[in-house]
Amino acid sequence: MKKLEIEFTINGKKRSLSVKPNDLLINIIRNDLFLTGSKYGCGIGECGACTVLLNGEPVLSCLTLAATVDGKEITTIEGLAKGGKLHPMQIAFLKNAAVQCGFCTPSMILTATALLKENPNPTEDEIRDYMRGNICRCTGYVQIVKAIEEYAHGEKTN
Amino acid sequence: MDQFKYISPKTKEETLKILKEKRVNACIVAGCTNVLPDIKIKKISPKILVDITAIQELRGIDKKKDKICIGPLTTIAELINSELILKESKILIQAAEEFADPLVRNNATIGGNLVTASPAADMAVPLLTLDAFIKIESAREKREVKLKEFFLGPGKTVLQDDEMIVGIEFEPSDINKKGYFIKLGQRKAMAIAIASVAVNLEVKQNKISQIRVAAGSVAPIPIRLTGVEKFLANKAISNKLVEKAVNRVREEVEPISDIRASEEYRRYISGTLFKRAFNKLTN
Ligand SMILES: Cc1cc2nc3c(=O)[nH]c(=O)nc-3n(C[C@H](O)[C@H](O)[C@H](O)COP(=O)(O)OP(=O)(O)OC[C@H]3O[C@@H](n4cnc5c(N)ncnc54)[C@H](O)[C@@H]3O)c2cc1C
Ligand code: FES
Ligand code: FES
Repeated sequence: MKKLEIEFTINGKKRSLSVKPNDLLINIIRNDLFLTGSKYGCGIGECGACTVLLNGEPVLSCLTLAATVDGKEITTIEGLAKGGKLHPMQIAFLKNAAVQCGFCTPSMILTATALLKENPNPTEDEIRDYMRGNICRCTGYVQIVKAIEEYAHGEKTN
Repeated sequence: MDQFKYISPKTKEETLKILKEKRVNACIVAGCTNVLPDIKIKKISPKILVDITAIQELRGIDKKKDKICIGPLTTIAELINSELILKESKILIQAAEEFADPLVRNNATIGGNLVTASPAADMAVPLLTLDAFIKIESAREKREVKLKEFFLGPGKTVLQDDEMIVGIEFEPSDINKKGYFIKLGQRKAMAIAIASVAVNLEVKQNKISQIRVAAGSVAPIPIRLTGVEKFLANKAISNKLVEKAVNRVREEVEPISDIRASEEYRRYISGTLFKRAFNKLTN
């Protein structure tokens, strides 16, 4: 099959790749770029485990063709920590024990940062509503919501 | 996943030419949220995907003369954030907020929702009560179709192989400003509607001067309940009238039983959803 040349920025670095027309973004990220923080869960848009930020917006990389990200900017969980220091949202998750098996955690943290960009001061209901497409099978929702609330409402840990 | 070719035309003209030449082999994609799952389960096996997301003129929401124009590539998230839509047709925002989750909404488009022609399509139901029409183009011609004549059956529309949607329009009017949408699902997030109802209403001196009612998941296509509309037109609002209309809704819908709900339940609940929406608009 004819390959397509694409160029994009991922976690601040420019990358060029040849991809097949039917390559999914999640597979390129995990298998070609070895960024295995993003998870493949259901593959049909239901679980949210494959969430990445595309031009700053959270989207499902299992429902995104790699060919469509040409010229765009992607952030995965690996891109949040800066200079060896965790992002404050990551610290809030750790502090509140919002991580159990960890499978959903990268997507939860990315979606939470997108929520706070759109709405810096969310209520508990707004947090639950925005996070409704990210499923946690360890059902750690209470701690997850608490971590996001704590980060949003000032007790910013560094 | 099956193999296919991928093209990303930059203009409408280029796209229409590809559709004309490739016909059934070509499949337009916008947000991909219907197409990719369908390819995965082998419900469809297109030879060429024509990604139209680079065509700027198919994006955006504008007021032009006496029309509100929504580009087919407008995402559900963009609808939620539109001041113009909030002012002219809040009912669309209500439906968009019930749609999937914020992740899917960033990709899913309004055009893709209509062409999918699901009986449950959440954007179709309020667009029916806004009396929307669809602008369609091919290399052969341009035409306009009323949304209520656009759907032919589950997954079927009046679109020919070489045609695409280039716009979705409705009038800015008092009745379009006053609408209410209710979706009943098994849970809040990521649920396909068991039933949904949209009502747009204009009242003058306690009399119904205009009413439009539509419903989803209660027939092979999203439908307007014109029998109920005719029954209510020009009548004075009373509790008794509403009760009668609720029964008419239950008679007019044509639901089926499936994994989400039985026919009887759908019939009953669509009447109830109508009552809730109507009362919201009149109280
Ligand atoms: C997890 C999940 C949850 C969902 N939840 C909901 C929900 O709550 N409510 C709901 O209604 N739907 C829901 N859907 C279905 C889907 O997201 C919507 O129907 C969406 O609006 C489709 O838009 P799209 O841009 O992704 O379409 P695509 O998948 O890109 O295309 C869908 C169809 O439309 C055609 N098409 C697209 N644009 C045009 C155009 N301009 N002209 C001609 N043809 C065109 C394509 O050829 C294809 O046949 C959900 C889907 C998923 C995966
Ligand atoms: S893997 Fe993408 S939503 Fe489940
Ligand atoms: S921590 Fe295990 S799935 Fe969420």
